[in-house]
Amino acid sequence: MSRKITRRDFIKATGLTLLGSFGLTGLGLASQHDHSSHQAPLIAQVHGHGSDAMPATNGEVNYQANGFNPSDILIDFDYGEVSTLANGQVLREFRLVSVNKTFEVAPDIMFPAWTYNGRIPGPTLRCTEGERIRVHFTNGSDHPHTIHFHGVHPSEMDGVPSSGPGVIQPGESFTYEFDAEPFGLHLYHCHAFPLARHIAKGLYGAFIIDPKGGRPPVERELIMVMSGFDVDFDDANDFYAVNTIPFHFDKHPIQIRVGEKVRIYLVNMLEYDLINSFHLHANFFQYYPTGTSLTPVEFTDTIMQTQAQRGILEFSYKFPGLYMFHAHNTEFAELGWTGHFEVLPKEV
Amino acid sequence: MSDQVIPANEKKGVSPLRAVLLILPLVALGGVILLFLATGGGLTLKSPAPVESLVVERTVLRPGEIDIQVRNAGPEDLTIAQAIVNSAVWPFTVSPDVIIPRLGKGTVHFSYPWVKGEAYAISLFSNNAIAFNTEIPVAFATPVATSRTFWSFTLIGLYVGIIPVYLGIFWFPALRQLGRQWMTFLLAITAGLLIFLGLDTIVEAIEKAAELATPIQGFGLAGIGAVATFLLLDAISKRQNAVGKSGTSQRLAVSFMIAAGIGLHNLGEGLAIGAAYNVGEIALGSFLVVGFILQNITEGLGIIAPILRDRPGWKPLALLGLIGGMPAVIGAWVGGFAPSPNLAVLFLAIGTGAIFEVTYEIFKLIQKDTAREPMPLTVFSGVMAGMLVMWVTGLLIK
Repeated sequence: MSRKITRRDFIKATGLTLLGSFGLTGLGLASQHDHSSHQAPLIAQVHGHGSDAMPATNGEVNYQANGFNPSDILIDFDYGEVSTLANGQVLREFRLVSVNKTFEVAPDIMFPAWTYNGRIPGPTLRCTEGERIRVHFTNGSDHPHTIHFHGVHPSEMDGVPSSGPGVIQPGESFTYEFDAEPFGLHLYHCHAFPLARHIAKGLYGAFIIDPKGGRPPVERELIMVMSGFDVDFDDANDFYAVNTIPFHFDKHPIQIRVGEKVRIYLVNMLEYDLINSFHLHANFFQYYPTGTSLTPVEFTDTIMQTQAQRGILEFSYKFPGLYMFHAHNTEFAELGWTGHFEVLPKEV
Repeated sequence: MSDQVIPANEKKGVSPLRAVLLILPLVALGGVILLFLATGGGLTLKSPAPVESLVVERTVLRPGEIDIQVRNAGPEDLTIAQAIVNSAVWPFTVSPDVIIPRLGKGTVHFSYPWVKGEAYAISLFSNNAIAFNTEIPVAFATPVATSRTFWSFTLIGLYVGIIPVYLGIFWFPALRQLGRQWMTFLLAITAGLLIFLGLDTIVEAIEKAAELATPIQGFGLAGIGAVATFLLLDAISKRQNAVGKSGTSQRLAVSFMIAAGIGLHNLGEGLAIGAAYNVGEIALGSFLVVGFILQNITEGLGIIAPILRDRPGWKPLALLGLIGGMPAVIGAWVGGFAPSPNLAVLFLAIGTGAIFEVTYEIFKLIQKDTAREPMPLTVFSGVMAGMLVMWVTGLLIK
């Protein structure tokens, strides 16, 4: 605390000294007395009666008005339109439109976002290794934007201002075209500058390239995109979440069953903070960083990702019950990045 | 000519024509305002960004609970949408309502497991995503009015106000043996003390005024308090002179005014101590008490300086001490149990006005003395001595 000492500080200082040095039933002593003489349980003394309170947003956002729901995004994979090219290669086409959209990020707090297809995160584009991908992009907003895919492609398809078509001006369109490689869990985002703001405003999504023949089958596949929202534009996030709405999966737990194999595609798109993380309660998971190998590299309950890092988690629950999952940057957890799995008993 | 015309009209009273002429501009004004509100007067006044202002007036902590009392100082209604307590989004309720009207008050209530002695930063977000931040530097239960806390605040007031003031008054028998020049010197010292106290009070008033909600116009409020007090005391003093009171009772009246001025200053100190205790901003250091008594003992001296050549009984002296010291106790109560930043500014401003008016009265007394016997260096050295005593004792404590 670096502030100048004023007469008030002196008065403050003196105020207590009076109590202390005269050894009278001063306020300081009075409060100490209260603690020892009252027979309240220790936890109540230390933490007060608010100890059962938990972080949460006040109320619920209007999902209808927002036009998207994190629970729907969780299981919504966009496989595009499939056809076959003359050379026999599978062609998969996606359509993305960038639109300005003000949505309710936390109850009563509107965020003037920039989105792909009116939702955050944008559609989870899913294809298979070796396919021809065409992403028809239209800029329906009033700012220049691009789509930059993580993957292997020629420079002019990189979706950056300095190569190919550069930024796509409002009202203009461009088709990004490349072969899907390598297999794994990737992402896409706008690469117009200032980059941090263009990402933080909501222009990002997951991009899954399945290996030929697919991954081993599981009962549930879930997509989780971790991000934060700087609602007062001071380049620091105020709220954190998976799939955009803080505490959504806290208020609406993800229902799974005992023994079911669950696969989470986890992408970190968090701007302004160095790292993000994922911790699963009362369980361990196999972790496939970037999903580029079918062999897991770690069996753990906590992983860390910097922005644009991503990975695949596989696990199943042994016991029924309610289990938390959250960022183990606990600050993020308490600012919205917290959810629950509700593990139901096996179906009979 | 005009001198004759105006009284002639006044005799007639308010003629209907005159009444219409008086009211007409007001009617026209109402019309212009209505027109402006209805049409916007051709100006496009839509603000590109919402202008919002929320002032935290008080924080109250009870075990497991935090209450933030806020005032909407913006031009429009304000809705409190979300709250973050120490980097955690926290549920809350607002009474009477989450929508706070312009200049209206609201109490944001958290059920929160705060820990004694720790610091808390609270952000309240409006529905326009504007964050208003406040801090609890040291958390502990806000004192509630029990007999014990009441007595504690009384003790604070006693040590800050009453005891030093009476200690100063006890100089009376010794000092009344002094010669005229020494008495003038003492008056000059008193003036110096008061100038220093007045500056201190005005700075405090200005500092506090700056923290108030903009529409309250803290500086204007302080100005009104100070100017009104100065002019009112001046009028009272002139009236006493006009009714031909004796020199003795005039000097006693000055003493009472000094006591009142110092009392208001001590009220401000009491308020600050009580409020500081209330928010837990307290440091330790036992030598500070000594400094406090050293500095405030001079206040008692100042109160008796004008009446040293008279023979007041013990009753006026006791009353003077009470007027000078007791407000510290009252201030500590108010500051501790029901602090109001707006009232604090007003009290400090009244104190400023009173102290400077009293200083002016003392200079009038000094002038009476110096008219008989010029002693410019006595006045200079006295005033400087008074100011320096305050400054040096201040050095000891700050």
